[in-house]
Amino acid sequence: MADDITPTWEDVARTYGRKIYNFAYRLTGNADDAADLVQEVLLRVRKGLESYVPGSFDGWLWRITRNAFLDGVRKQKRRPTSPLPDDDRNIIGSSPSPDEVLASVRLSEDIQSALLKVPLDFRECVVLCDVVGLTYEEISQAVAAPVGTVRSRIHRGRKMLRELLTWPV
Amino acid sequence: MAGVKTSRSCDATELVSAYLDGQLFPGELDVVVEHLAGCSECIAEFHQLKEIRAALRTLPNLELPERLLPDSHLGEQLSAYLDGQITTAEHEFVVAHLDTCTDCRLELHELDAARTAVRSLPGLEPPEFLEPHRQRIERERWTRRRVAAAAVGIAAVATIVVTILGPSAQQQWNLDVNELLDQHQARLSVETGIGVLPAFAPVEVAP
Repeated sequence: MADDITPTWEDVARTYGRKIYNFAYRLTGNADDAADLVQEVLLRVRKGLESYVPGSFDGWLWRITRNAFLDGVRKQKRRPTSPLPDDDRNIIGSSPSPDEVLASVRLSEDIQSALLKVPLDFRECVVLCDVVGLTYEEISQAVAAPVGTVRSRIHRGRKMLRELLTWPV
Repeated sequence: MAGVKTSRSCDATELVSAYLDGQLFPGELDVVVEHLAGCSECIAEFHQLKEIRAALRTLPNLELPERLLPDSHLGEQLSAYLDGQITTAEHEFVVAHLDTCTDCRLELHELDAARTAVRSLPGLEPPEFLEPHRQRIERERWTRRRVAAAAVGIAAVATIVVTILGPSAQQQWNLDVNELLDQHQARLSVETGIGVLPAFAPVEVAP
């Protein structure tokens, strides 16, 4: 979206709704939570557009998205949640080698489960990079951290995922 | 986090992810290329990171549930708008949309016409076999009207009597309402010759 114009919230919903949904789904692993987040973000966008000063729209939008997500996480913490399975081997399934793991039909479920085990700071950077497709600069704006920090988090997040997905059977 | 650790044995390892993403800072590319040529650990890491990055990017791009998409047109909100059944916030939104959308204005016009047409439909005549029922209903309706007329008559006469006699005589009126009602009910139950009801029965006046 061009940075010099202010879009309507319907534009935002059509252009970014799916991306926000995928971001939320990969971060939460839950379709209902993801849908709730999209609604919350669009609501905030609708309000925020009134005072929006044309600039880096992506940075602005993803900061809203990320804050809405964190607010959701804080609320969630006050409610009991179902714990993730503790045994990593169950997530990987019966595939013995890393190559076979990556080729398994349960691949996306496995990746999703592993993602949820990566600490949030790292997870959000990895998702913004590999799922949403933002540049490091845009991620830096979204998570309000220096580019160097973002780079480090993406790298370490990926390494954690790698280890989680190749846990010895 | 239990069970997850990252090896930090080689300082250049962090650059590898940025390299894969094409997000190196100026001048770093040479450092990475040179380093990769001589560090087997980083070469292995490069391949692993490349795999996990590719794996992440194979995650399916999920469809946004349709209900989250803004309806490009007002749809059922238009009917609610016609019936005055939308919230203030919605009203603002609908009016703003109608301002700019010819399609929705046209649809609103058509809905309005359809709504008016439905509302102006004449009441249907009941089928013939229901005629006896209709007649009974008609009779009952007349009876109800007579009762109503009687009630109005009682009230009127009572008012006149009170007005005429009340102030001058300075008397206490003691109406026995139950008796009054009984008399009228008895008369109504006969159902004949009650077109003009003598609504006022003689009343005992207490001294």
